[in-house]
Formats: sequence, structure tokens, C-alpha cells
Amino acid sequence: MSTTEHATTGQPTTEHPPHPSVKRYWQIALFLGVVTAIEVAIAYIPDLDRTVLTVGLVGLGIIKFGSVVGWFMHLRFENKTMNRLFAIGLVLALGLFFIVLATFSGILSS
Amino acid sequence: MATLTPEATEVQEPDEHGSRGGLWSWITTVDHKRIGLMYGGTAMFFFLLGGIEALFIRLQLAVPDGTVLTSDQYNQLFTMHGTTMVFLVIMPLAAAFGNYLIPIMIGARDVAFPRMNAMSFWVFLFGGIFLSSSFFLGGFPDGGWFGYAPLSTQSEVIRMDFWALGLLILGIASLAGAVNFTTTIFTMRAPGMTMFKMPVFVWMQLVVAFLLLFSLPVITVALFEVFFDRNFGTLFYDPAAGGDPILYQHLFWLFGHPEVYILILPSMGIVSEVLPVFSRKPLFGYQFVVFAGAAIALLGFGVWAHHMFTSGLGPVAESAFSLTTMFIAVPTGIKIFNWLGTTWGGKISLKTPMLFALGFIAMFTIGGLSGVTHSVVPADTQQTDSYYVVAHFHYVLFGGAMFGIFAGVYYWWPKISGRYLSEALGKWHFWLMLLGFNLTFAPQHWLGLWGMARRTAVYPPDIGLETLNMVSTIGAFLIAVSMLPFLYAMLTNHRKGEPAPADAWDGRTLEWSVSSPPPHHNFHEVPTVEAIDDFWHRKYGEDEEGRAVRIATIPEPERFTDAYIHLPSPSYYPIMLAAGLVLAAYGFLFGPIGIPLLIVGALVLFGGIFGWAQEDPDHPMGDHDDHHGGHDDHEAETGPVEDEAGAAEGETAGDPEAAEVVEGEDA
Amino acid sequence: MATETAVHGPTGTDGADIRKTAMWGFLGSECLFFGSFIATFLLYSDETNGGPGTEVFDIPFTSVSSFVLLMSSLTMVLAHNAYERDDNRQLRIWLVATALLGTVFLGGQVFEFTTFYAEGLRMDVSPFGSAFFVLTGFHGAHVAVGVLMLTSMIILSRRGQLYRHRGMNVELVGLYWHFVDIVWIVIFTVVYLLQV
Repeated sequence: MSTTEHATTGQPTTEHPPHPSVKRYWQIALFLGVVTAIEVAIAYIPDLDRTVLTVGLVGLGIIKFGSVVGWFMHLRFENKTMNRLFAIGLVLALGLFFIVLATFSGILSS
Repeated sequence: MATLTPEATEVQEPDEHGSRGGLWSWITTVDHKRIGLMYGGTAMFFFLLGGIEALFIRLQLAVPDGTVLTSDQYNQLFTMHGTTMVFLVIMPLAAAFGNYLIPIMIGARDVAFPRMNAMSFWVFLFGGIFLSSSFFLGGFPDGGWFGYAPLSTQSEVIRMDFWALGLLILGIASLAGAVNFTTTIFTMRAPGMTMFKMPVFVWMQLVVAFLLLFSLPVITVALFEVFFDRNFGTLFYDPAAGGDPILYQHLFWLFGHPEVYILILPSMGIVSEVLPVFSRKPLFGYQFVVFAGAAIALLGFGVWAHHMFTSGLGPVAESAFSLTTMFIAVPTGIKIFNWLGTTWGGKISLKTPMLFALGFIAMFTIGGLSGVTHSVVPADTQQTDSYYVVAHFHYVLFGGAMFGIFAGVYYWWPKISGRYLSEALGKWHFWLMLLGFNLTFAPQHWLGLWGMARRTAVYPPDIGLETLNMVSTIGAFLIAVSMLPFLYAMLTNHRKGEPAPADAWDGRTLEWSVSSPPPHHNFHEVPTVEAIDDFWHRKYGEDEEGRAVRIATIPEPERFTDAYIHLPSPSYYPIMLAAGLVLAAYGFLFGPIGIPLLIVGALVLFGGIFGWAQEDPDHPMGDHDDHHGGHDDHEAETGPVEDEAGAAEGETAGDPEAAEVVEGEDA
Repeated sequence: MATETAVHGPTGTDGADIRKTAMWGFLGSECLFFGSFIATFLLYSDETNGGPGTEVFDIPFTSVSSFVLLMSSLTMVLAHNAYERDDNRQLRIWLVATALLGTVFLGGQVFEFTTFYAEGLRMDVSPFGSAFFVLTGFHGAHVAVGVLMLTSMIILSRRGQLYRHRGMNVELVGLYWHFVDIVWIVIFTVVYLLQV
């Protein structure tokens, strides 16, 4: 068997994939600043439904998280190995602690 | 800063062991083979310690109302027996094999980060000494090897501080090792060796590295929380204040169950290498064995709560974890059938490594089956904390992991020393150990089901537990006796061992293509790999009926003692960093009077880090365009960033045409 | 036996810098480290043991310090960009800016901790206090380590010893720094905004 998930073995890819420009970095930073401002604003809306608040804040948090990882950490330009190493850690952290907290919440007891 | 000067790292002639003599050369070594040997030797020493602890436990339990130990001593001994065997014996033995073999098996000259590798070993060694030294400083830890809170947070003396801090230190060693192995396996394989042409042993080490990478941080947090509760007044596990000890159980077993696979998978890898060689057949269903290993790792993260069935998780959670626990038996079963399939119809040669490998399959299967019984919640409720559990995990970790490790020791020793271990003594070792092991642990299944609780120092007479406890104790001493032929064979190997050719067993993997012991740089020429078991296919073809036919005789590899290959220079910063870390830990534990020690330790630690960061790991004699294994840091050819030419130089490191080997020392 | 040699060095046989692969593995591991602490916090967010709870949080203040840390990611990526272009003047300017922003964030954390202690939220008062201080404290420790690494980068660059293919380089320090920033993005949302 020679098929492999790492088909790049032995064939070095471009060592320096094209990186975003300085201008793009400033744009992303501006975007992140605006998103943060929206987050804080949402938190101060009086009598906002708790579910809407949670979904909104988590959604915006994910957007910020993804922007920093994808662009500033340029993970979107890296190879599969690096993407998987980080993705596994992230998915395990989310999944495992969701289950742990669920067992405490009582939703699994009945 | 004391960087190594050119004079200090003068070209060192490797002798026939690929080594340059002297204690200092071992202390500063960054060679993965030497680090592997030191890992193995240290772990074997702790194996002796852990074994002696076990014998005391069995002496105490030999007769009812035993008086050999006090309850306090008993608590200390069972805690340290477990902690030692898990963290100071089996894990480092797996690291020993990984260190010695992974680079050679994938055709590399060292691991990815040689100095970090050395640091892992020294942190492990000093961490092990730290943990064991508690014996002289207030007593061994006594809260059980999994240190359940609030028992572990409430005892007054510093015993459990030693435990928590010791495991945190050992965690650093394991995490650095896991990062190192992962990177090595992903990025340093020889040309042509795709992931699915790697030996299964390397695959299993990769899976273990992943498990370590993603489970160690969880126990790190659990240990920090216990340690903070004990020392800084936090209330993580204080039920009176609203803390929840069940959280500790979750965090511990989120690590603890993957840990079980961390302990067993390296042995599964070893057995997957030994069986094909001694059956003279390729491994049956290579991809299935690999995928089963990966599946075990994945499922291994989803079964932790079966250790907590009696903690009141609720029926939904219990059912779910019951199912995942049953599921994990499937990939395990796949492996067992693949191993049996490998031997089926093979030309089996019952040499000692093969005996241990077959013993592994049999004993591990028994342990695996009793493990499946734990997935049934009502049954598990009866078995929890009884000797049935003790019997189960000893069948997995001793009958499984240790048998596999001994298979590996007998199998690869000729590669390491150039001499076979005695077959006669090896067979004594195997049969005595198999008999002693089963005498010790088989009766414990019944003892547990009859109600004998684990971790109690005494049991009353006249409730029917005497006979089997006595049998168990006799078995334990038989295991101790079985170690004598092994030790004797090891100690006399350099005189009495029969010399072995490089290809000692007509092997299949790359390590058999190099001399025994392997040269310092492993490969004179980095091999190109075309198939699984590439080395076998260089020797054998197939006739019309598919039988293996010898097509080539591989001459004994030269020793290449005169070849000079650029390898990372030795460094004393790894040991300095490790020493500083452990000194600081001692200083911290001993409160006000320990503060000077804490300061000294911290200074040594930071000195080590700064020296490390500034050290030039490049051999000054090396010409600047060679390429070799092992590089956190050896690319001096690229100028400082200050240089205008830096941009162009950035590319030279990837030049595959660069000269690899420079013959002669005047290069 | 072929004569083609393996491509080793900082570039592995998969064509990528081996140190970056190692760093991403480490960061994947760190996800579970902070995940464990965050899970602990979520479990204990109401366990105030009679002491103060989330009402002591000062969202405007924390929003500002979050913004400071977020912008340090911008300066870090600009430093890396200058590094790629071998522009050492720009590199040092942005490294200094990043280290300063990090220090400002740490200063803010010290101020916040002091205020909370004055208001009675301490780590030995309640599981909530323990979980809050230990989580944000370990994050702060990561920031402090980052500031130390940035400082060494600045010094090494000044002395002309910042080698691209040896040890930690600006890119690796950058990855670590951005990671510390994304952990704070999660903490800011989960620990602060969602709790008040």
C-alpha cells in the first residue's frame, strides 16, 4: 500500500507560501476591533434573550478565533499535518469538556 | 555565555560502539541511541524498586491479619508500587525503545530535537529520583496512584506534594518526548517511506505520542489543582465550600484511560515486529493493525467514565460509556486476530522473543476479556475496588505491556550489543515468569469476586481467602526468581553472549541493515524505501507459488568508523535545566528553609535555558551544506538576520542535492 | 540503495519547517490545558461559597485590556512580516510594540486582581475564586513567558544573533503569542461576557 494521507512526502512543497500583505493585516485587525466592540455592545443590551446572547457572543468569538488562527497564525497556508495537530487538540478540548460538563448538569441523569 | 568552542567539540572518533567513551560524553550526549539506553537502564532500575515494593505487599497479604507492615506503610507501598510501575517503568521503557529505534526504523540519523530529547531523559531521571526520595523525607506518597481528591488534598504531611509535583515534573519529560516523536515521525522519514510503509512499531509510537500530547495537559491541570488546594488554599476539591471531587475523577481519568493505551500500544508495536520475523511471514493485515491502533487511540478518549461507574453519573452517561467500552474491544480484537493470522501457516521459530510475544497475546487476551466485563455497569459496580480489578489490570500491564517489552529486549538486544542474549536463560526466564505471573494474578480474579477489597492492609481469617492469597504470594516470589536468569544473561552478555551478525534474525525492517551496534550516525547513506518491510524485499523475492526465495545476500555492513558525519554537538544544558527544575521543586516543598534551594534551582534552570538558547549546536568542523538528522537548531549556514544576504540563504537548507557524507576526518 | 539524500534540516521531508510542526503539536496540547481550566471555571461559576461572584467583573476595563492584547497580535504579525522581508528596523519596532502591549495587558491584570482582592474575591474564598484566579493566572503566566521571549528576540536581533534556522525564531514566538491571544478571546467571551 502506498496511498497515504501525506502524499507530499518526498516532494517538498513551496517553503514559503504566499503570505497576506501588510494592508490585509491591518484590515483584519480593524475587523477584530469592530467585532470586539459589537461583543461588548451585545453584552450590554438590556433584557436580551439569554439564548440569543449566548449564540451571538459564541458566534462572534469563533469568528475572532478563526481570523487570528487562519490569518495571523497563517494556519490556512500550512500543511495538513499542522492543521490536524491543532484541530485534534481543539476538537478534543471542545468535545470532552462538553461531555464532562453535561454529566454534571444532570441532563444525562434521567 | 559558555558556548562550546571549536576546540571543545573536536571531532570525536566513534569507537566500535558508535560512541565516544567517558562519563562526560554520556552526560552531554544528544545521541538518540545513548538516550534510549539510559532510558532503558533507568527504567529497569525502577522496575526493581517497584518489584520490591510489590513483594512487600504480597508478604503482608500472604496470611490473614498480616503483621509485616503497618497500615501506613502499606498505603505508602501500594501507592508507590503503582506510581513507579506506571510512570517510572512502563512509560520510560516505551520511550527507551522509541528513542533507540524510531530514527533507525524510519531511516533518519537522529530525532527532530536531540537536545530536547536529552532534556526529556534527564527530567525523567531526576523526577523519578525526586518522587522516590520522598521515602527519606517524610514517607512515600500514600493516597493511591490516582490520588483521588479530597484524600490527596487533605493529608497533612508533604507526601502527596511529592506525588503531585513529581508527576508534574515527569509530565514535562513525557510531553517534550511526545512533541519530539511526533515531529520526527511526521517530518524525518527517509525518501519513499510514506506513512503506510512505516513499521507498525513506529505507527504505534506515533499513536502513543498523540495520546500523550492530548491527555497529559489534562492531568497537568488536575495535579495543579490538587497542588494549589494543598499549598495555596484554593478550594477546587473541598466539598464543604462547594468544590466537587467528581471533577478530579473526570480530569484524572480523561488522562488515565488514554494512559492505559499509552502503556500497552508500544508493546503491541513490538509484538507486531517480532511475530512476522519469527513466523517468516509478513504481518497479516498491516493496514488493519495500523487502523485498529488509531481507532483504539480515538475511542480511548471516549471511555474514561467507566472508571467512575460507582460515582453516580446517571443512567444515560453510564449506558453511553458502557457502549463505548464494549466498542473498544473491537479494534483490540482485530489486532489479536491479525497477530494470530500472522503466525498461521508460518515457519515458526520459538526463540525467546517469539515466546514472549506469544505470551503477550495470550495474557493480554485474558486481560482484555476481563476488561470487557467492566463495561457492564451492574457487574462493574460489584468489581470496583476489588482484587478482580487488580487482576485485570495486571494481566494487561504485566501480562501485556511487560511481556511485550521483554520480547523487545530479547529481539533488539543483538542490535544494541552485537551479541545474542542466551537462549537457554531466556527460556528459563520466560517459563518461570509465565508461571509466576499466572500464579500471582489468576487467583486474584476469584479473590476479588469473593469480596476481597483492594488497598486494605489486612483481611480476616476464616472467610476463605487464605489459600489463594498464599498462592498469589508464592507466584510473586516466582516472578522475582524469574528475573535472575535475565539479569545474569544481561550482565554476562558482553563476555558470554554469542556474537550476532548485523541481520541477527533475518529481519524485515531497516534497523537490521546497519551494523550491530549501529554507527553513531545510523546510516552511511540514507536509504530509499520502496515497500513495507523494505529490507526483507532486498533479500527475498517470490517464486510462482508465492513462496519467499532468497534473491540477494546482504554483506555485513561496514562499521564506517572513519566516516565523519555532521551530527549535533553534545550539550550539558539539558541536564543543567533538568537539575535546576528538580532542585527548585525540592526547595519549594521545604518551605522557608528551602527558599535558598529554590533560588539556586531557579538560577540553574534559567542558566540552562539561556545557555541552551545561545549555544551553537553546530559542529564547528561541519561544512555548511550537509544535512543530517536532528535539528532544532543546527543551521548555522544561514546568516544572522542582520545580513542582507539572508533571504537567499533561507533556501539553502532545503537543497536535496547537498553533499551528505564526508569521508575522512580531515573533511 | 539510492544515493538521493533526505531533505533534513529545518525543512523536513514533508517540506515544512520541523519546528513549526512541533509548535503546532504543542499548541494542540495547550488547547486541552486551557480547556481543562475553562471547564473547571464553568463548573464552579456559581460556587461562590457566600463570597462575591461575577458581579465584581468590570466589563469596560476588561474590554480595553482584551483590545490591547488583540492589537498585540497585529503588531506581532507585522513583526513577522518585517522578519520575512529582512527589515530589521521594522522588526524591532514591532517586537517592542508587541512586548509593550503585552506588558500593558499584564499590568491591567495585576490591577484587576488587586481590585478583586479588595472586594473580597480571593482564590481561597470559594471554588469560583479558585477557578477564576488560577485560569486567568495561568494565562497571565503564558503572556509573561511570551514577553520574555519577545525581549530575547529584540536583544538577539540587536546583537545580530537572531538566526533564522536555529532555535526559536520570530515566527515560532509569533505562533505562541497569537495562541495566547486566542485563548484570551475564549476567556473574554466565556468567563467575562457570558457570565454577567
